[in-house]
Amino acid sequence: MDSTKQVKKEKPIITMERISKTFQVEDGEVKVIDQIDLDIRENEFLVLFGAGQCGKTTLLKMLAGLETISGGSIKIDEKELKGFNPKVGMVYQTTALFPWLTVMGNVEFGPKARGIGKTERQKKAQYYIDLVGLTGFEKHFPSMLSGGMQQRVGIARAYCNDPEIILMDEPFGHLDAQTRYMMEEEVEKIWQEEKRTIIFVTNNIEEALYLADRIVILTECPARVLTEYKIDIPRPRSLVSEEFLSLREEISSLVDLREGGNDAE
Amino acid sequence: MKEKTKYIIISIVSLISFILLWDLVSKSGIISAKKLPAPSKLFETFIYKLGNKNPDGNTLPIHIWTSLKEALIGFFFGIVIGVPLGISMAWFKKFDKFFSPLFDLIKPIPPVGWVPIMITFFGIGIMSKVSVIFIASFIPAVINSYSGIKQTREVHKWVSQTFGASNRQVLFTIAIPSAGPMIFTGARVALNGSWVSLVAAELIASTKGLGYMIQTARLVGRIDVVFVGVLVIGVFGAAMMEGLSFLERKLVKGGRRS
Amino acid sequence: MINKTFTKDMRETWMYGILGFLVFLLVWQAACVFTNFGKIFPTPKVSLAAFLQAFVEPIGRHTLLGHISISLRRVLIGYTLSSITGIIIGLLMGYSKLAHAIIYPIFCIIRPIPGIAWIPLAILWIGIGEPTIHFIIFMGGFSQMVMNTMDGAQHVDTELVGVAKVLGAKENQIFRKIVLPSSIPYIFTGLQTSLSTSWMAVLAAEMITAREGAGWLIIAGMQTGRIENNVIGMIAIGLVGLILATLLRNAERRLCRWTVRSR
Repeated sequence: MDSTKQVKKEKPIITMERISKTFQVEDGEVKVIDQIDLDIRENEFLVLFGAGQCGKTTLLKMLAGLETISGGSIKIDEKELKGFNPKVGMVYQTTALFPWLTVMGNVEFGPKARGIGKTERQKKAQYYIDLVGLTGFEKHFPSMLSGGMQQRVGIARAYCNDPEIILMDEPFGHLDAQTRYMMEEEVEKIWQEEKRTIIFVTNNIEEALYLADRIVILTECPARVLTEYKIDIPRPRSLVSEEFLSLREEISSLVDLREGGNDAE
Repeated sequence: MKEKTKYIIISIVSLISFILLWDLVSKSGIISAKKLPAPSKLFETFIYKLGNKNPDGNTLPIHIWTSLKEALIGFFFGIVIGVPLGISMAWFKKFDKFFSPLFDLIKPIPPVGWVPIMITFFGIGIMSKVSVIFIASFIPAVINSYSGIKQTREVHKWVSQTFGASNRQVLFTIAIPSAGPMIFTGARVALNGSWVSLVAAELIASTKGLGYMIQTARLVGRIDVVFVGVLVIGVFGAAMMEGLSFLERKLVKGGRRS
Repeated sequence: MINKTFTKDMRETWMYGILGFLVFLLVWQAACVFTNFGKIFPTPKVSLAAFLQAFVEPIGRHTLLGHISISLRRVLIGYTLSSITGIIIGLLMGYSKLAHAIIYPIFCIIRPIPGIAWIPLAILWIGIGEPTIHFIIFMGGFSQMVMNTMDGAQHVDTELVGVAKVLGAKENQIFRKIVLPSSIPYIFTGLQTSLSTSWMAVLAAEMITAREGAGWLIIAGMQTGRIENNVIGMIAIGLVGLILATLLRNAERRLCRWTVRSR
């Protein structure tokens, strides 16, 4: 994997062309995604940022093959996306751990489903459990863990399946601020150690600025690409540097303007 | 929507073919009609039994009426006494400590177990059956209203107490309404238990009622009447449960039971 | 401080519990001594003596333990069979919409019929004997098992199914690794209710068609006018019911360590 990394750097791993999604509701249709064009490079940390509750999760679900595409096409590695893609892993807002499996059971689920032998998959799972800092908790059930720890399991589970692309759907939305900062640092650290393409959905500006190589700002219902920012601030970023704050100001005003001062989420 | 229609059609086809197959098996003699009467024969028997007293001395409507009456009286008293007892046990600690051990003693005895004792006390009339059914519905009524009240969210209690509600107000305005769904679950278990125990009691000793009808029909070898009786028991059991669910929808607002 | 109130609470629990029990015994005793109740009903002392004696002296063909073990054996056979078939059919109907469409309407015909109501039919079909009793117990637990299991299989969290799919699980793996484990708490609820109805069904069946067993014991007590046998039978039945339910609850705790449910 590592040998090809440098060469492929500029070639998009994901190409979205005029993606649209409409849902059938009782009185007609609702359009949640409207003509999104987006290229994502390999190993890029892309943040999808938007204030509303609309479209972002659906977009991730489409990438994971959990949701059908109403219009347009998604190509991964220049191949049309159809159904599930083993190259994609996902971290969920609600952690969505299997409550009847231990930490180890959750993390090794993917390799096990693909029929990888016990010693090999457990070695691998152990590596990722260690990586997310849960050493010693292998035999715990999710209900015994705190929210932050549960989300670490979710991250380890996604990585352990060897995806090239990891989708994170507001993974820290339910966590308290302090834990959230810790988890953001953690994700950045893991991403630097284990380079993967990450698509991260959030509605928190600081989180977006702290993590992103590039922030794509989406409009609210239906979701369209409003604009995008390339973030070049060197990592690890300080939340109070001048650069950071001015960007934060800029994006906030942009979003506020769009929402017209409405109480949007 | 389209998929739904497909499954409904499959269901109807399945049901019809089940009945046709039953009819075929019975009429062709693969299983003798003495063991499995054809559906058409059962329908005839049902019509016949509506007005005819053979072979058990009463018409079907009278049996139904007797059973329903006994079941509902016992059920009514079971609920009327059981629910308040359960609530008091949950709300007043001393009450709980006094009654709980006694209650734990009788709880595991299946209602059917009471049939012989009740017959010894009250004879084979209506009282023995009503008292068995009373026990059958009393026990789940107590258990469920007890745990319903115990589960009253502490938060609700605090909220109402900080608004200055008295203990009694908390009980009546917070605890009991929020236990409503649980109490209804108890009533459902109770009703089911009532119907089952009634049938058992009537099978063992009685002179009227659906259980008696099928037992007598069995003794004289009228399997068609047994079949009709069993199906009628099922239909009325289901109908009473539906009635209770209807009542629940009317009475319990907000929190649905899980 | 906490410790002190705790022990005070415990002491009160015991005190009131014993008090309640004593009051119960007193009322029983008084009723036997002062009213007509005593003419048909044994006093607590006589009942206890008879209960202890029944362990060594046979009533009918067996001692008390013999009758109990006969009933238990019957329940175990009928209950095991109904649980296995009930779980299989329930999972099938909960998981596959097609199976649900085919089986459910037919199942709805037998579902509301209490197991006990099958007694006359079972006797006509199979005759009097062990298989009839097993059949009745089977019917007693079967529909509850099906309904609970089906409920469980239908309530599988769709998000978890999605997670498994993204992680590369195939259709049959989703069934074994997601649908089955998430149904287990429901299956246990089914096993519990079904056990108590099975225990009830065996009593009814024995009262009507058997010559031995706990159900026979209490009905024979009534028929021969020896009410103490009746009382003995009920105490024994209650105890066994309690033990069975406790065993099952412990099994559930062991198997479902992951659920937060505590009771």
